[in-house]
Amino acid sequence: MPFSYYARLTRSQQAIYRKSDEIPEVRLPRPDALHPMVEGLTSALASEDRLAVQRATDRLIRGLTDAVAVPPVKVEVLAARPHAKWGELHGLYTSERGKPPKIQLWMRTAKQRRVVAFRTYLRTLLHEVGHHFDYALLRLPDSYHTEGFYKRESSLFKQLVPEARAPRAPHVEAWFRTSPDERLARLARTPDQLAALLAGRSESALARRPAADAWAPVEIVCHLRDAEEMFGQRFGTILAMDDPILTEAGPAERWASDRQYRRHDAALALAHFRRRRGESMETLMAMAPDDWQRGGEHPVRGRVTIDMFVALMAWHDDNHVEQLTRAVEGRP
Amino acid sequence: MATTMEDYAKQPREQRLQRLTRTADELSAAINGQAEAVLARRPDDKNWAAKEIVCHLRDAEEMFTSRFELIVAMDTDPKLVGPSADRMAEERQYLRNDAGEAIGAFRRRRAENVEYLRTLTPAQWDKGGVHPVRGRMTIDTFLTLMAWHDDNHLDQLGRALAGKA
Repeated sequence: MPFSYYARLTRSQQAIYRKSDEIPEVRLPRPDALHPMVEGLTSALASEDRLAVQRATDRLIRGLTDAVAVPPVKVEVLAARPHAKWGELHGLYTSERGKPPKIQLWMRTAKQRRVVAFRTYLRTLLHEVGHHFDYALLRLPDSYHTEGFYKRESSLFKQLVPEARAPRAPHVEAWFRTSPDERLARLARTPDQLAALLAGRSESALARRPAADAWAPVEIVCHLRDAEEMFGQRFGTILAMDDPILTEAGPAERWASDRQYRRHDAALALAHFRRRRGESMETLMAMAPDDWQRGGEHPVRGRVTIDMFVALMAWHDDNHVEQLTRAVEGRP
Repeated sequence: MATTMEDYAKQPREQRLQRLTRTADELSAAINGQAEAVLARRPDDKNWAAKEIVCHLRDAEEMFTSRFELIVAMDTDPKLVGPSADRMAEERQYLRNDAGEAIGAFRRRRAENVEYLRTLTPAQWDKGGVHPVRGRMTIDTFLTLMAWHDDNHLDQLGRALAGKA
Protein backbone atom coordinates (compact mmCIF):
# COMPACT_ATOMS: atom_id res chain seq x y z
CA MET A 1 0.00 0.00 0.00
CA PRO A 2 1.88 3.13 -1.13
CA PHE A 3 1.91 6.33 0.92
CA SER A 4 -0.72 8.93 0.03
CA TYR A 5 1.64 11.17 -1.92
CA TYR A 6 2.08 8.35 -4.46
CA ALA A 7 -1.11 9.47 -6.21
CA ARG A 8 0.39 12.91 -6.87
CA LEU A 9 3.49 11.53 -8.59
CA THR A 10 3.92 11.32 -12.36
CA ARG A 11 3.95 7.90 -14.02
CA SER A 12 7.74 7.76 -14.26
CA GLN A 13 8.05 8.86 -10.63
CA GLN A 14 5.55 6.18 -9.61
CA ALA A 15 7.73 3.61 -11.36
CA ILE A 16 10.71 4.74 -9.29
CA TYR A 17 8.55 4.63 -6.15
CA ARG A 18 7.45 1.04 -6.84
CA LYS A 19 11.01 -0.07 -7.50
CA SER A 20 12.14 1.50 -4.22
CA ASP A 21 9.23 -0.11 -2.39
CA GLU A 22 10.13 -3.59 -3.62
CA ILE A 23 13.60 -3.68 -2.02
CA PRO A 24 13.25 -4.51 1.70
CA GLU A 25 16.88 -4.61 2.78
CA VAL A 26 20.49 -3.72 2.13
CA ARG A 27 22.62 -6.66 3.17
CA LEU A 28 26.06 -5.72 4.50
CA PRO A 29 28.72 -8.33 3.70
CA ARG A 30 30.36 -8.19 7.16
CA PRO A 31 28.31 -6.10 9.57
CA ASP A 32 30.47 -7.16 12.55
CA ALA A 33 33.41 -5.29 11.00
CA LEU A 34 31.39 -2.09 11.48
CA HIS A 35 30.44 -2.73 15.12
CA PRO A 36 33.58 -1.07 16.57
CA MET A 37 32.67 2.05 14.56
CA VAL A 38 29.19 2.01 16.07
CA GLU A 39 30.71 1.67 19.55
CA GLY A 40 33.01 4.58 18.73
CA LEU A 41 29.99 6.65 17.83
CA THR A 42 28.32 5.80 21.16
CA SER A 43 31.39 6.99 23.07
CA ALA A 44 31.71 10.11 20.93
CA LEU A 45 28.09 11.09 21.60
CA ALA A 46 28.57 10.46 25.32
CA SER A 47 31.58 12.79 25.28
CA GLU A 48 29.32 15.50 23.79
CA ASP A 49 32.30 16.70 21.76
CA ARG A 50 31.25 17.70 18.26
CA LEU A 51 34.61 16.97 16.66
CA ALA A 52 34.69 13.50 18.19
CA VAL A 53 31.15 12.88 16.85
CA GLN A 54 32.19 14.19 13.44
CA ARG A 55 35.15 11.79 13.31
CA ALA A 56 33.13 8.81 14.52
CA THR A 57 30.32 9.60 12.05
CA ASP A 58 32.79 9.95 9.19
CA ARG A 59 34.32 6.61 9.98
CA LEU A 60 31.01 4.79 10.20
CA ILE A 61 29.62 6.27 6.99
CA ARG A 62 32.87 5.56 5.17
CA GLY A 63 32.68 2.01 6.52
CA LEU A 64 29.15 1.65 5.15
CA THR A 65 29.94 3.04 1.69
CA ASP A 66 33.09 0.91 1.45
CA ALA A 67 31.16 -2.19 2.56
CA VAL A 68 28.77 -1.96 -0.38
CA ALA A 69 31.39 -0.51 -2.74
CA VAL A 70 29.75 2.82 -3.55
CA PRO A 71 31.50 6.21 -3.74
CA PRO A 72 31.99 7.99 -0.41
CA VAL A 73 29.81 10.86 0.71
CA LYS A 74 30.86 14.07 2.42
CA VAL A 75 29.71 14.27 6.05
CA GLU A 76 29.14 17.31 8.23
CA VAL A 77 28.08 17.11 11.89
CA LEU A 78 26.52 20.29 13.21
CA ALA A 79 25.50 21.39 16.70
CA ALA A 80 21.88 22.32 17.43
CA ARG A 81 19.17 21.31 14.99
CA PRO A 82 17.47 24.09 13.08
CA HIS A 83 13.84 24.29 14.06
CA ALA A 84 10.76 25.66 12.44
CA LYS A 85 7.01 25.41 12.92
CA TRP A 86 6.95 22.02 11.24
CA GLY A 87 9.50 20.57 13.66
CA GLU A 88 13.20 19.94 13.83
CA LEU A 89 15.56 18.99 11.03
CA HIS A 90 17.51 15.88 12.12
CA GLY A 91 19.57 15.23 9.02
CA LEU A 92 19.85 16.22 5.39
CA TYR A 93 21.15 14.55 2.24
CA THR A 94 21.96 16.77 -0.71
CA SER A 95 23.08 15.68 -4.12
CA GLU A 96 23.46 18.49 -6.62
CA ARG A 97 24.71 18.10 -10.12
CA GLY A 98 28.46 18.74 -10.36
CA LYS A 99 28.99 18.58 -6.59
CA PRO A 100 29.86 15.61 -4.40
CA PRO A 101 26.86 14.38 -2.37
CA LYS A 102 26.72 15.53 1.25
CA ILE A 103 25.12 14.34 4.48
CA GLN A 104 24.51 16.82 7.28
CA LEU A 105 23.58 15.62 10.76
CA TRP A 106 22.64 17.63 13.84
CA MET A 107 23.79 16.25 17.19
CA ARG A 108 21.79 18.48 19.54
CA THR A 109 18.07 19.11 19.87
CA ALA A 110 16.83 22.52 18.79
CA LYS A 111 15.18 23.79 21.96
CA GLN A 112 16.87 22.05 24.88
CA ARG A 113 20.14 21.71 22.96
CA ARG A 114 20.69 18.30 24.47
CA VAL A 115 22.82 15.74 22.70
CA VAL A 116 20.58 13.49 20.64
CA ALA A 117 20.16 9.94 21.99
CA PHE A 118 22.43 7.38 20.37
CA ARG A 119 19.65 5.36 18.70
CA THR A 120 17.97 8.47 17.33
CA TYR A 121 21.25 9.76 15.96
CA LEU A 122 22.13 6.42 14.36
CA ARG A 123 18.64 6.13 12.84
CA THR A 124 19.01 9.59 11.31
CA LEU A 125 22.48 8.75 10.02
CA LEU A 126 21.20 5.55 8.38
CA HIS A 127 18.23 7.40 6.95
CA GLU A 128 20.52 9.83 5.14
CA VAL A 129 22.89 7.03 4.09
CA GLY A 130 19.77 5.30 2.74
CA HIS A 131 19.22 8.21 0.35
CA HIS A 132 22.81 7.92 -0.80
CA PHE A 133 22.41 4.16 -1.33
CA ASP A 134 19.24 4.76 -3.36
CA TYR A 135 21.24 6.73 -5.91
CA ALA A 136 24.68 5.11 -5.70
CA LEU A 137 23.86 1.47 -4.95
CA LEU A 138 20.31 0.84 -6.19
CA ARG A 139 20.74 3.27 -9.10
CA LEU A 140 17.34 4.80 -8.56
CA PRO A 141 16.91 8.12 -10.39
CA ASP A 142 15.23 9.58 -7.28
CA SER A 143 15.04 8.70 -3.59
CA TYR A 144 11.56 8.51 -2.10
CA HIS A 145 10.35 7.76 1.40
CA THR A 146 8.67 4.48 0.64
CA GLU A 147 7.88 1.60 2.94
CA GLY A 148 10.77 -0.23 1.30
CA PHE A 149 13.06 2.72 2.06
CA TYR A 150 12.18 2.55 5.78
CA LYS A 151 12.63 -1.22 5.78
CA ARG A 152 16.10 -0.81 4.30
CA GLU A 153 16.91 1.77 6.99
CA SER A 154 15.75 -0.71 9.66
CA SER A 155 17.69 -3.54 8.08
CA LEU A 156 20.88 -1.51 8.34
CA PHE A 157 20.09 -0.57 11.94
CA LYS A 158 19.53 -4.21 12.95
CA GLN A 159 22.78 -5.29 11.35
CA LEU A 160 24.72 -2.56 13.14
CA VAL A 161 23.00 -2.83 16.54
CA PRO A 162 21.99 -6.41 17.29
CA GLU A 163 19.71 -6.36 20.35
CA ALA A 164 22.34 -7.95 22.57
CA ARG A 165 24.70 -5.07 21.88
CA ALA A 166 22.20 -2.27 22.20
CA PRO A 167 22.91 0.19 25.02
CA ARG A 168 20.81 -0.67 28.04
CA ALA A 169 21.28 2.54 30.02
CA PRO A 170 18.07 4.45 30.61
CA HIS A 171 17.80 7.62 28.58
CA VAL A 172 18.26 10.90 30.43
CA GLU A 173 14.52 11.64 30.07
CA ALA A 174 13.81 8.51 32.11
CA TRP A 175 15.88 9.96 34.94
CA PHE A 176 13.95 13.25 34.77
CA ARG A 177 10.82 11.26 35.66
CA THR A 178 12.33 9.60 38.76
CA SER A 179 12.12 10.89 42.33
CA PRO A 180 15.04 12.74 43.96
CA ASP A 181 15.55 9.75 46.26
CA GLU A 182 15.90 7.35 43.33
CA ARG A 183 18.43 9.61 41.67
CA LEU A 184 20.41 10.10 44.88
CA ALA A 185 20.42 6.33 45.43
CA ARG A 186 21.84 5.89 41.94
CA LEU A 187 24.56 8.47 42.60
CA ALA A 188 25.47 6.77 45.87
CA ARG A 189 26.09 3.41 44.16
CA THR A 190 28.56 4.62 41.54
CA PRO A 191 31.86 4.66 43.48
CA ASP A 192 31.38 1.00 44.48
CA GLN A 193 30.43 0.02 40.94
CA LEU A 194 33.63 1.62 39.65
CA ALA A 195 35.69 -0.07 42.37
CA ALA A 196 34.28 -3.49 41.42
CA LEU A 197 35.13 -2.90 37.76
CA LEU A 198 38.71 -1.80 38.51
CA ALA A 199 39.48 -4.49 41.10
CA GLY A 200 42.44 -6.73 40.32
CA ARG A 201 43.46 -5.05 37.08
CA SER A 202 47.01 -3.89 36.42
CA GLU A 203 48.00 -0.28 35.88
CA SER A 204 49.00 -1.01 32.29
CA ALA A 205 45.63 -2.68 31.57
CA LEU A 206 43.79 0.31 33.03
CA ALA A 207 45.79 2.73 30.88
CA ARG A 208 45.13 0.81 27.65
CA ARG A 209 42.69 2.38 25.21
CA PRO A 210 40.34 -0.14 23.55
CA ALA A 211 40.51 1.96 20.35
CA ALA A 212 42.49 5.03 19.34
CA ASP A 213 39.53 7.32 20.03
CA ALA A 214 37.98 5.50 23.01
CA TRP A 215 39.05 6.25 26.58
CA ALA A 216 41.07 3.82 28.67
CA PRO A 217 39.52 2.77 32.02
CA VAL A 218 41.71 5.21 33.98
CA GLU A 219 40.58 8.08 31.73
CA ILE A 220 36.93 7.27 32.40
CA VAL A 221 37.47 7.35 36.17
CA CYS A 222 39.44 10.63 35.95
CA HIS A 223 36.66 12.09 33.83
CA LEU A 224 34.06 11.20 36.47
CA ARG A 225 36.28 12.70 39.19
CA ASP A 226 36.72 16.00 37.34
CA ALA A 227 33.09 16.12 36.24
CA GLU A 228 32.15 15.76 39.92
CA GLU A 229 34.32 18.75 40.77
CA MET A 230 32.53 20.68 38.02
CA PHE A 231 29.07 19.63 39.29
CA GLY A 232 30.11 20.81 42.77
CA GLN A 233 31.11 24.18 41.35
CA ARG A 234 27.84 24.41 39.44
CA PHE A 235 25.85 23.83 42.64
CA GLY A 236 27.95 26.43 44.46
CA THR A 237 27.42 28.99 41.70
CA ILE A 238 23.67 28.34 41.47
CA LEU A 239 23.21 28.60 45.24
CA ALA A 240 25.32 31.78 45.46
CA MET A 241 23.55 33.73 42.69
CA ASP A 242 20.12 34.02 41.14
CA ASP A 243 20.07 32.32 37.75
CA PRO A 244 23.76 32.78 36.96
CA ILE A 245 25.24 32.05 33.58
CA LEU A 246 26.97 28.66 33.58
CA THR A 247 29.93 28.84 31.26
CA GLU A 248 30.65 25.75 29.24
CA ALA A 249 33.28 23.54 30.87
CA GLY A 250 35.73 21.21 29.24
CA PRO A 251 35.47 19.88 26.62
CA ALA A 252 36.03 16.54 28.30
CA GLU A 253 38.46 15.37 25.61
CA ARG A 254 40.65 18.39 26.28
CA TRP A 255 40.63 17.73 30.01
CA ALA A 256 41.76 14.17 29.30
CA SER A 257 44.71 15.30 27.18
CA ASP A 258 45.68 18.49 29.08
CA ARG A 259 45.49 16.81 32.48
CA GLN A 260 47.23 13.67 31.21
CA TYR A 261 44.63 11.23 32.53
CA ARG A 262 46.47 8.20 31.20
CA ARG A 263 49.36 8.86 33.59
CA HIS A 264 47.04 8.93 36.62
CA ASP A 265 46.61 6.19 39.17
CA ALA A 266 43.09 4.83 38.77
CA ALA A 267 42.63 3.76 42.40
CA LEU A 268 43.63 7.20 43.62
CA ALA A 269 41.35 8.87 41.07
CA LEU A 270 38.50 6.67 42.29
CA ALA A 271 39.21 7.59 45.93
CA HIS A 272 39.02 11.29 45.01
CA PHE A 273 35.87 10.74 42.99
CA ARG A 274 34.35 8.98 46.01
CA ARG A 275 35.23 11.92 48.23
CA ARG A 276 33.83 14.48 45.78
CA ARG A 277 30.69 12.41 45.26
CA GLY A 278 30.18 12.26 49.05
CA GLU A 279 30.42 16.05 49.19
CA SER A 280 27.94 16.46 46.31
CA MET A 281 25.47 14.15 48.06
CA GLU A 282 25.82 16.07 51.32
CA THR A 283 25.21 19.37 49.54
CA LEU A 284 22.16 18.00 47.75
CA MET A 285 20.64 16.41 50.83
CA ALA A 286 21.13 19.57 52.88
CA MET A 287 19.21 21.69 50.34
CA ALA A 288 15.60 22.70 50.87
CA PRO A 289 13.24 21.27 48.21
CA ASP A 290 12.88 24.76 46.72
CA ASP A 291 16.62 24.97 46.19
CA TRP A 292 16.39 22.03 43.79
CA GLN A 293 14.44 24.34 41.49
CA ARG A 294 17.16 26.98 41.49
CA GLY A 295 19.05 27.01 38.22
CA GLY A 296 21.44 28.66 35.85
CA GLU A 297 21.63 29.42 32.14
CA HIS A 298 23.74 26.83 30.35
CA PRO A 299 25.08 27.92 26.93
CA VAL A 300 24.04 24.66 25.30
CA ARG A 301 21.25 23.18 27.43
CA GLY A 302 19.40 26.40 28.29
CA ARG A 303 18.07 26.83 31.86
CA VAL A 304 19.21 23.90 33.97
CA THR A 305 17.94 23.48 37.52
CA ILE A 306 19.72 21.56 40.26
CA ASP A 307 16.95 18.97 39.93
CA MET A 308 17.89 18.54 36.26
CA PHE A 309 21.60 18.39 37.07
CA VAL A 310 20.95 15.47 39.43
CA ALA A 311 19.13 13.62 36.63
CA LEU A 312 22.01 14.43 34.27
CA MET A 313 24.50 13.12 36.83
CA ALA A 314 22.57 9.84 37.17
CA TRP A 315 22.46 9.43 33.40
CA HIS A 316 26.13 10.45 33.11
CA ASP A 317 27.04 7.78 35.69
CA ASP A 318 25.04 5.12 33.79
CA ASN A 319 26.79 6.02 30.58
CA HIS A 320 30.29 5.93 31.97
CA VAL A 321 29.76 2.80 34.07
CA GLU A 322 28.70 1.10 30.84
CA GLN A 323 31.65 2.57 29.00
CA LEU A 324 33.99 1.36 31.76
CA THR A 325 32.43 -2.12 31.64
CA ARG A 326 33.34 -2.26 27.95
CA ALA A 327 36.75 -0.62 28.35
CA VAL A 328 38.02 -3.12 30.95
CA GLU A 329 37.10 -5.88 28.50
CA GLY A 330 39.02 -4.09 25.74
CA ARG A 331 35.85 -3.03 23.89
CA PRO A 332 35.38 0.61 22.77
CA MET B 1 63.74 43.23 43.01
CA ALA B 2 60.46 41.49 42.20
CA THR B 3 57.72 43.39 40.40
CA THR B 4 54.75 43.75 42.77
CA MET B 5 51.08 43.72 41.84
CA GLU B 6 51.04 47.48 42.40
CA ASP B 7 53.96 47.92 39.97
CA TYR B 8 52.21 45.81 37.35
CA ALA B 9 48.95 47.73 37.84
CA LYS B 10 50.75 50.88 36.70
CA GLN B 11 52.03 49.31 33.50
CA PRO B 12 50.16 49.83 30.22
CA ARG B 13 47.92 46.93 29.32
CA GLU B 14 50.02 45.99 26.31
CA GLN B 15 53.14 45.70 28.46
CA ARG B 16 51.36 43.32 30.83
CA LEU B 17 50.06 41.29 27.87
CA GLN B 18 53.60 41.09 26.54
CA ARG B 19 54.72 39.74 29.90
CA LEU B 20 52.15 36.95 29.62
CA THR B 21 53.40 35.93 26.19
CA ARG B 22 56.93 35.23 27.49
CA THR B 23 56.03 32.82 30.28
CA ALA B 24 55.72 29.56 28.31
CA ASP B 25 59.24 29.99 26.90
CA GLU B 26 60.59 30.87 30.32
CA LEU B 27 59.09 27.69 31.77
CA SER B 28 60.52 25.59 28.93
CA ALA B 29 63.97 27.10 29.41
CA ALA B 30 63.83 26.47 33.17
CA ILE B 31 63.06 22.77 32.93
CA ASN B 32 65.17 22.08 29.84
CA GLY B 33 67.60 19.22 30.49
CA GLN B 34 66.37 18.61 34.04
CA ALA B 35 66.10 14.99 35.14
CA GLU B 36 62.69 13.53 35.91
CA ALA B 37 63.75 12.96 39.52
CA VAL B 38 64.59 16.65 39.90
CA LEU B 39 61.31 17.74 38.32
CA ALA B 40 59.33 15.52 40.69
CA ARG B 41 61.32 16.38 43.84
CA ARG B 42 59.55 18.44 46.47
CA PRO B 43 61.88 20.79 48.34
CA ASP B 44 60.01 19.89 51.55
CA ASP B 45 56.70 18.44 52.70
CA LYS B 46 54.73 21.60 52.05
CA ASN B 47 56.25 23.01 48.88
CA TRP B 48 55.53 21.96 45.34
CA ALA B 49 57.92 20.17 43.03
CA ALA B 50 58.78 21.78 39.66
CA LYS B 51 56.20 19.76 37.73
CA GLU B 52 53.47 20.65 40.22
CA ILE B 53 54.20 24.34 39.66
CA VAL B 54 53.93 23.91 35.90
CA CYS B 55 50.66 21.94 36.21
CA HIS B 56 49.31 24.61 38.55
CA LEU B 57 49.97 27.30 35.94
CA ARG B 58 48.27 25.16 33.28
CA ASP B 59 45.12 24.66 35.37
CA ALA B 60 45.10 28.25 36.61
CA GLU B 61 45.09 29.34 32.98
CA GLU B 62 41.95 27.30 32.33
CA MET B 63 40.35 28.86 35.42
CA PHE B 64 41.21 32.37 34.18
CA THR B 65 39.45 31.56 30.90
CA SER B 66 36.26 30.50 32.64
CA ARG B 67 36.35 33.58 34.88
CA PHE B 68 36.71 35.91 31.90
CA GLU B 69 33.86 34.21 30.10
CA LEU B 70 31.62 34.39 33.16
CA ILE B 71 32.40 38.04 33.87
CA VAL B 72 31.83 39.08 30.25
CA ALA B 73 28.60 37.06 29.98
CA MET B 74 26.93 38.36 33.18
CA ASP B 75 25.18 41.72 33.48
CA THR B 76 26.00 41.96 37.18
CA ASP B 77 29.25 41.11 38.99
CA PRO B 78 29.29 37.34 39.51
CA LYS B 79 30.53 35.77 42.71
CA LEU B 80 33.71 33.92 41.85
CA VAL B 81 34.11 30.60 43.60
CA GLY B 82 37.72 29.59 43.89
CA PRO B 83 38.92 25.99 43.84
CA SER B 84 41.77 25.05 46.17
CA ALA B 85 45.08 24.88 44.29
CA ASP B 86 46.50 22.30 46.73
CA ARG B 87 43.47 20.07 46.32
CA MET B 88 43.78 20.29 42.54
CA ALA B 89 47.46 19.35 42.77
CA GLU B 90 46.56 16.28 44.82
CA GLU B 91 43.48 15.16 42.88
CA ARG B 92 44.83 15.82 39.41
CA GLN B 93 47.96 13.94 40.39
CA TYR B 94 50.37 16.62 39.26
CA LEU B 95 53.36 14.56 40.38
CA ARG B 96 52.52 11.89 37.77
CA ASN B 97 52.32 14.42 34.93
CA ASP B 98 54.97 15.01 32.31
CA ALA B 99 56.26 18.56 32.81
CA GLY B 100 57.04 19.15 29.12
CA GLU B 101 53.54 18.13 28.06
CA ALA B 102 52.05 20.28 30.80
CA ILE B 103 53.97 23.30 29.47
CA GLY B 104 52.65 22.50 25.98
CA ALA B 105 49.08 22.59 27.29
CA PHE B 106 49.80 25.78 29.24
CA ARG B 107 51.26 27.38 26.11
CA ARG B 108 48.07 26.67 24.14
CA ARG B 109 45.77 27.93 26.89
CA ARG B 110 47.87 31.04 27.45
CA ALA B 111 47.86 31.90 23.74
CA GLU B 112 44.07 31.53 23.71
CA ASN B 113 43.71 33.82 26.73
CA VAL B 114 45.99 36.51 25.31
CA GLU B 115 44.13 36.36 22.02
CA TYR B 116 40.79 36.58 23.84
CA LEU B 117 41.90 39.52 26.00
CA ARG B 118 43.00 41.44 22.91
CA THR B 119 39.44 41.24 21.56
CA LEU B 120 37.84 42.91 24.62
CA THR B 121 36.23 46.33 24.38
CA PRO B 122 37.20 49.05 26.92
CA ALA B 123 33.89 48.49 28.73
CA GLN B 124 34.56 44.76 29.01
CA TRP B 125 37.99 45.37 30.54
CA ASP B 126 36.22 47.21 33.37
CA LYS B 127 33.69 44.45 34.02
CA GLY B 128 34.38 42.45 37.15
CA GLY B 129 33.46 39.76 39.61
CA VAL B 130 33.64 39.38 43.37
CA HIS B 131 36.61 37.29 44.43
CA PRO B 132 36.19 35.51 47.81
CA VAL B 133 39.50 36.88 49.12
CA ARG B 134 40.42 39.86 46.96
CA GLY B 135 36.99 41.47 46.66
CA ARG B 136 35.87 43.04 43.37
CA MET B 137 38.29 42.34 40.54
CA THR B 138 37.95 43.69 37.02
CA ILE B 139 39.34 41.85 34.02
CA ASP B 140 42.07 44.46 33.94
CA THR B 141 42.96 43.58 37.55
CA PHE B 142 43.02 39.92 36.55
CA LEU B 143 45.58 40.75 33.87
CA THR B 144 47.74 42.37 36.55
CA LEU B 145 47.26 39.35 38.78
CA MET B 146 48.25 36.97 35.98
CA ALA B 147 51.49 38.86 35.28
CA TRP B 148 52.39 38.82 38.96
CA HIS B 149 51.28 35.19 39.35
CA ASP B 150 53.62 34.19 36.50
CA ASP B 151 56.59 35.95 38.13
CA ASN B 152 55.79 34.44 41.46
CA HIS B 153 55.68 30.88 40.15
CA LEU B 154 58.71 31.29 37.90
CA ASP B 155 60.65 32.31 41.03
CA GLN B 156 59.22 29.36 42.89
CA LEU B 157 60.16 27.07 39.97
CA GLY B 158 63.78 28.27 40.08
CA ARG B 159 63.92 27.53 43.82
CA ALA B 160 62.22 24.13 43.47
CA LEU B 161 64.74 23.04 40.82
CA ALA B 162 67.53 24.06 43.18
CA GLY B 163 65.86 22.04 45.96
CA LYS B 164 64.89 25.15 47.91
CA ALA B 165 61.49 25.94 49.40
